[in-house]
Amino acid sequence: MSSLPCIALHEVRCAAEGRVLLEIDRLTINHGERIAIVGHNGAGKSTLLRLLSGFMPPSHGQIEVLGHSLSQPLPGADLRALRVELGQVMQGLHLVARLSARENVLIGSLGRVTGWRSWTRYFPAHEVSRAEAALQAVGLLPRAQTRADKLSGGERQKVAIARLLMQGPRLILADEPTAALDPSAAAEVCQLLVKAAAEATLITVVHNPALLPLLAERVIGLKNGRIAFDLPVAAVNDEKLLNLYRPDAAQENPLSSNDSRTTMELPCPGTA
Amino acid sequence: MRLASALNNRALGPFSGRLGFLGLALIYLVLIAACLGSLAQEGELSLGRSPIANLLKTAGEFARPSFLDVWFGNPNLEYRSDDGTLLRSENRQTVEMDYLAGLGRATWTTIRIATLGSLLGALLALPLAVMTARNLAAPKPLAWLAKGVLDVARSIHTLVFGLVLVGIVGLGPTAGILAIGLHSMGTYGKLFAEAIESLDMAAIDAVRSVGAGPVQVFFNAVWPSVLPQFVSSHLYIWEFNIRDSTILGLIGAGGLGLLITEATSLFQWGRLSTVLLVVIALVVSFDALSRRIRMALA
Repeated sequence: MSSLPCIALHEVRCAAEGRVLLEIDRLTINHGERIAIVGHNGAGKSTLLRLLSGFMPPSHGQIEVLGHSLSQPLPGADLRALRVELGQVMQGLHLVARLSARENVLIGSLGRVTGWRSWTRYFPAHEVSRAEAALQAVGLLPRAQTRADKLSGGERQKVAIARLLMQGPRLILADEPTAALDPSAAAEVCQLLVKAAAEATLITVVHNPALLPLLAERVIGLKNGRIAFDLPVAAVNDEKLLNLYRPDAAQENPLSSNDSRTTMELPCPGTA
Repeated sequence: MRLASALNNRALGPFSGRLGFLGLALIYLVLIAACLGSLAQEGELSLGRSPIANLLKTAGEFARPSFLDVWFGNPNLEYRSDDGTLLRSENRQTVEMDYLAGLGRATWTTIRIATLGSLLGALLALPLAVMTARNLAAPKPLAWLAKGVLDVARSIHTLVFGLVLVGIVGLGPTAGILAIGLHSMGTYGKLFAEAIESLDMAAIDAVRSVGAGPVQVFFNAVWPSVLPQFVSSHLYIWEFNIRDSTILGLIGAGGLGLLITEATSLFQWGRLSTVLLVVIALVVSFDALSRRIRMALA
């Protein structure tokens, strides 16, 4: 691809209600990298993802994502063009509850399919077979006709990953994709996510250190809105993680306005 | 202690807390006493001269619906004057057969009034519901205007609309259709707005996150979440309107209500009984049908 990095942040500062949510001097992420972001509640993980997805503009500084400058709010058409290339997996299980698994996967093709076909959900045959292949890849083809609200939490995340496969984005942002899942389902979803990101850059917010080696080559630790460390996954040890999650640090920012989760998985030493 | 809790109650509003409920119950009792007392004082609380005999007579006639005459009626019923001359004779069986045919036509008229009226109400309500739904944040004056229109439509009874409309468009089903449409528009608007307000935002985010445009978001996230609720409310109100339109004939809008007025004003309880049986069958079968469709949509 181009010599430009996938993501470049320069002197980015994000503040809301007089509180600094995020302050990053310089951060560069190249195409094809696997990044995990760790940190306590309110450390700025979700804020960082929201900045990268163009959901909110920074208070100061420059952000470049896939060649789009996000320093100012993007006009609607540019934002949509960015989102076509940007896959998102959220912990909130973002599916259309009343559509079947297959139709949810087909939503991934809305960047390519336009006009009346996308309004009537009468997708072209090659997109439908591609959607079925995506469901096959995550092992959910037998559940293709099941409505999304009848699927289990793990199955829903797999549908979201199949939607990623359908969309074929260049950058994938995953915000705790395994938060609602039991450990075995979490590991499976992570493996599928990495497989889906074979051609893309993958940035995942992770709480469970056991999943770090599955998901990432490079780990960025955030603490109070700043980068505490930026290391290859092999160099991340229990001590560094415990430092990151130390309660005194978390208590400086007790309100996690940008984090909607209610529970935090504490890192258990020995699993990392 | 009591005072403290009373003060506490006041902070929460006049009707909250145990004391507030006691007060409400007292007010209710006083209202009941006032209603009963004043009616008794005006001598309006009587059941008539011979309620038991009247009841038995009416019930007896009701127990023999007129349609039985199609099989058991006197084929040669003679009407004679006091001196014994034959005035005319009629075949009760063919007379009742004709009445049943008329009843069938009236039922069809009632169904047409309810169906077209419901559709009209739903179509009129749709834009107003979009304006009043809080999450769509339409301009304030527009929202107030739409809410006002819906409230007025809901608070005026179908019969009142009907009476006014009969004066405007004349007797007949058109007045009934418009009356049903205008009144149920208020209910539709409220239910539709609630359906829009309970919209699943996660679904919208999901579709938006892949770069879909506003029209695509509407058809892939909003429409599938809202449509089943719309259809379900539509069936529900349609069901109500079938019931409502049976009465609209009273004011000249045609249909079963016309036969009801006719039967009651001629004290033909046997015929009224036949008409009511048809009304019950109609309402019950539509009920069952719409419940089944609504369950399938849930």
